[in-house]
Order: sequence, then C-alpha cells, then structure tokens
Amino acid sequence: MQLILQSIFCCCLLATVAPSVDSAKHDLKRSVRLQRSKRDLSLAALRTLDNSQFIREDDVKDNLRPHSSTGISMRTKRSKNSINQSRRAGCSLGTCTVHVLAHRIHDLNNKLKIGNAPVDKINPFGYGRRRRSVPEKVMTLRQEGKGLRTAWRSSNSQSRLHRLEALLRRT
Amino acid sequence: MPKKMKASDWTICLFLLGSVTEFIVLASPEVNESQQQHPQNVYHDIGVTRNKIVTAQFECYQKIMKDNNQEVIPSRAGPVCNRTWDGWLCWDDTEAGITSEQHCPDYFQDFDPTEMVSKICTESGQWFLHPASNRTWTNFTRCNLHTTEGRRTAMNLFYLALIGHGLSLTSLCVSLGIFFHFKSLSCQRITLHKNLFFSFVLNSIITIIWLTAVANNQELVQRNPVSCKVSQFIHLYIFGCNYFWMLCEGIYLHTLIVVAVFAEKQHLMWYYLLGWGFPLIPAIIHAVARSYYYNDNCWISSNTSLLYIIHGPICAALLVNLFFLLNIVRVLITKLKVTHQAESSLYMKAVRATLILVPLLGIQYVLLPYKPGGRVSAEIYDYIMHILMHYQGLLVATIFCFFNGEVQAVLRRHWNQYRIQFGSTITQSDALRSASYTASSITEVQGCYSIDGHTEHLNGKNCNDIDSAILKPENPFA
Repeated sequence: MQLILQSIFCCCLLATVAPSVDSAKHDLKRSVRLQRSKRDLSLAALRTLDNSQFIREDDVKDNLRPHSSTGISMRTKRSKNSINQSRRAGCSLGTCTVHVLAHRIHDLNNKLKIGNAPVDKINPFGYGRRRRSVPEKVMTLRQEGKGLRTAWRSSNSQSRLHRLEALLRRT
Repeated sequence: MPKKMKASDWTICLFLLGSVTEFIVLASPEVNESQQQHPQNVYHDIGVTRNKIVTAQFECYQKIMKDNNQEVIPSRAGPVCNRTWDGWLCWDDTEAGITSEQHCPDYFQDFDPTEMVSKICTESGQWFLHPASNRTWTNFTRCNLHTTEGRRTAMNLFYLALIGHGLSLTSLCVSLGIFFHFKSLSCQRITLHKNLFFSFVLNSIITIIWLTAVANNQELVQRNPVSCKVSQFIHLYIFGCNYFWMLCEGIYLHTLIVVAVFAEKQHLMWYYLLGWGFPLIPAIIHAVARSYYYNDNCWISSNTSLLYIIHGPICAALLVNLFFLLNIVRVLITKLKVTHQAESSLYMKAVRATLILVPLLGIQYVLLPYKPGGRVSAEIYDYIMHILMHYQGLLVATIFCFFNGEVQAVLRRHWNQYRIQFGSTITQSDALRSASYTASSITEVQGCYSIDGHTEHLNGKNCNDIDSAILKPENPFA
C-alpha cells in the first residue's frame, strides 16, 4: 500500500517537473527576448540598425523585378497547402477551460482596448505590406564618441551594391 | 516581461522606435500615401492596443534583422516569399504556393484570438496582391466575423459556470452537514468523501470569486495588487487539491477492491499528504516561474505554457485514475462471472458502476482531453467541458450522498425518531419499516469498517455478497 502511494508520489513529482522545464524554456526565450529589447535600443543595437538599414530582400526584389499581378489564378492552392506559423503558447487541456474562460471574460470587458477593429485596415485597401522602393539616400545613425550623429549615406556605394547582389542571388 | 518594464524604459523604447520609423519614412521620398497612416495616428488615445501593436512591430523588426544578420536562411528549392511585417502581424519566410496562417492578434476587443489570419504566398514567390486594390494583402476578415456569437458563448459559459458552482456549493454544503451531523456514518470511506467534498466546496468558492471579482473587474486587474496574485495562487492550489482528492478516492477504492489482500487498515495520513500537501508543490513552482517569466497582471492570462505546471500533474493523476477505474471494472466483471449471472445484467451492472465512478474519479477529463480545432466543434466541446466541470460537485454530492443507501436510511431513521418523539400518529406499518431500516443501516455501517469482510469477498469466498455490497442499484461505492 505504502509502496504504491510512494511510487505515485514519485510519478506526480516527475510529471510536475517535466512540463515545467519544457514550458519554462519556451517562456524564458520570450522573456529574454523582451528583456533584451530594452537593451537593444542602446547604441550597440543602433549599430546593427546601421548595418542593415531596414532594407530587406523584400524591398530590393520588389523594386527590381517586374511583378505579375495575377494573384487570382494562384488562389486555387490555398486549401491544399497551408502552414501554421504561430506556435500558440497556452494550455489546451480540458482542465484548463476554466482559465481560458476567465481570460476570455477579462478580454471581452477590457475597456482599454479598442472595441472594433478599423474596417479600412481589413478591407482590400488595408493591411498587407506595401511596396516601398529603395531610397537613393538613407539617413543613418552613427555613433561618434558618446553622441549620436545622423548622416546621409548614398545608397549606391560599393558595399551596398555588393550586399544587394548577394541578396538577389539568394532569392 | 513587458509589464515589468519601468515607465521610463517604455517611453524611451517607444520614442526610439518612433524615431527610427520616422527616419525610414522621411528617408524614402517615393513613399506611398498610405504609408503615412501610421498606427500612431489611428490609435492615439487607447494605450493597450497601441502598445501591443508597437511592441509586436518592434519584435518583428528585431527578428527580421537578427535573421538577416545571422544569415540563417536554409537553401530552399524554388522561390520564397520573404519575411515581412504587414502592419499587425509578423510573417516568416514562406515557400511559394503555400498559405501561411496565424492566430488573430488580440489587439481589439472584437478580434477572436482563436480564429486564423491567412496570407498567401503565390507561385512566383510574392505575397498575394488583392485584385481590388492591387496591393499586398493579408486576410484578417475572419478575425471579427463571429465576434458576436463568440461573445454570447463566453457570457453563456460564464453564467453556466456561476449557476453550476452555486448549485454545487449548496448541495455539497448540505451533504457535508449530513456527513458531519450523523456520526454513525463516519468511516474511512466517508472521511475521504468529506475531504473530497470540502475541496469541491473551496474550489467552487474560489472559482466564483475569481470569475466575478477578478476576471470581471477591469480596475482591479489594472491596479494589479498582490492580493489578486495571491488569490490566483490559492485558486490554482485548490484546483489541484480537488483533482488530487479524486486521485485519493481512486487509490482508496483500488486498494480496497483490487489489492485488498495486502491491506490492513489504511493509513489516512498518506491520503491527507497527497490530497492537501502535494498540490502545493506545482502551485508554488507555478507562482515562482510566473513571477520570473510571465508576470502579467493578476496572472490572468491563459496564453502561457506555464499553466502546464499545474495541469501536467492533474493530468497524470487523472490518467492514474483511469487505470484504476479500468482495473476495478475488470475485477468486478471477473468476480461477477463466477456467480454465473445472466450476461446482460452483468454488463449492465458493470456499466452502471463505471458511470457512477466517472464523476468521482474525474475520468471525463481524460476521455475528452484536447479541444478540437473547428469553430463549431470547439464551441460544443466548450459547453460540454464547462457543464462537466462546474456541475461535477453537484453530481458527486447527489450520487455519493443523497442517493447513498446508508445516508437515506439514516435520514429516514432520524425522521421517524423525530416523529415518534413528538407523538405524531404512527401506523403499524410505518413502525415496522423504521425498524427494518434501522437494522439494515446498522449492518451497512458495520460493513463500513469490515475490511476483513472485503478481503473475504474479493478472495472469492462470498461472491454474492460483493455483488450486493458493491453493485447495489442505488449506490455501489458510496
């Protein structure tokens, strides 16, 4: 009798520790990222901003490649191939429903949120990334001594061209 | 831990972010007209929504830059739609011809976070352009399509929970009163029942408090006092206690019926330790982990995997209970077969015993472990789960107290004594019936203590008795 109880005790202990380690890893990653976001706005991070200057492959490609606007014909594949990007954190067990309900009730009555989503952002003229061309000159932040300096950098400098080419080759 | 950031950090963060985006806008001369409609103008007054969007945007840009710097792009065959920030959500690199999906953001009250947003990557490796506007477009339309229905469901479930817990509370208090008042009922099994009922009562009280006073009270959550975190801690602890007392009932029954050969009188100390002591461990671990890694207001959010710290052990306990239930039913059927009963009545009895034990041991949560994906099926699941969860106390009190043969007998006896005492006219037959009840209840109460008797039954010496003791129509295990 005691042996059974003790072994169940041990099982329960294991069951406590295993998911907590797993979930802690996930949440830790998130919290570390958020904590880092505070720090990343320091000068060190601005230097990385300087390097990449918010230009991604997307911008470059959009500008250099003629785009076909035949979006409709491609919609056929929609239902077949879809991937889910969001790993939704949270408890989906049956016993969690009470927490989910409490959270939902709280969310529904949250007066600090905007009640209705703006319709113009959802309609065809709304959200989605808008094309942006690569600017001729880009204002950059540079660290000089202790202060920040803004500087105009020509975008068709040699190093920039190399980077663009590299991006293009990848896509 | 965004909530823990000091206000000054936040302002710096927002200011820098704003300035960075402004630089970009200023620096690109050919910018679209629409580009200037930055969220900042639209969401001027409302803090939470704007904060959330800006934070998400910031995280997204950081992610994009980090990935670009690290050059961690695996070589893929075929064109790829590039990762992007669409104004509300962040999208990863997606292969051509694939529709990427994410859960709706919770920026607005009418957005349902369980619905999906989709963004199509076309065959040519470009994000889908909406034919009406010829712009890159993400499909957010599903997010607020069923908002009113969702809200109605949530409120229905809320009232369902309150009514369920209210009914459970009354019935459990009445049964606890019966158990405590009639000393003749007390035995180990009833002691376990008392503890289980008491955990149900506490659970109902704290759940009602949590749902009405905390979840429904915006000001309190916004002030975020320590007391509401403490109440969440207590809520989770009591919640755990409830399920671990179900486990205790399972262990007790299993020991009594299956391994009774080795059992002397069982030590209740272990049960108390498991039922009231053990749930403290996950509750404390959860509280510590929550305060370090996900310290939201009042710990009310259910979007964190840290909840598995509480629900993992509960799930394990329920699985153990399922094993116990199956084993008990197996033993019952083998014992009953020895008595050569008719097959149908045998299985009827087994099924009845199982059905009675399911709410006691909480098996329903194991049988319906995960929420299904679809909207309608998820809603049905929600209703079933909430009814099972919030009315379980009522069900358990009804089956194991009000329908309990011993309890009914004791109540009748006392009622008759009361009538005799106050000299009301009793007919002959009534007096006879009361006498017979007294006799039967005495044997039943004595049966309570007779563990030797049980071992005898289960060794197969007296199988007709086990059948009458355990499978009595009104109440086998009560």
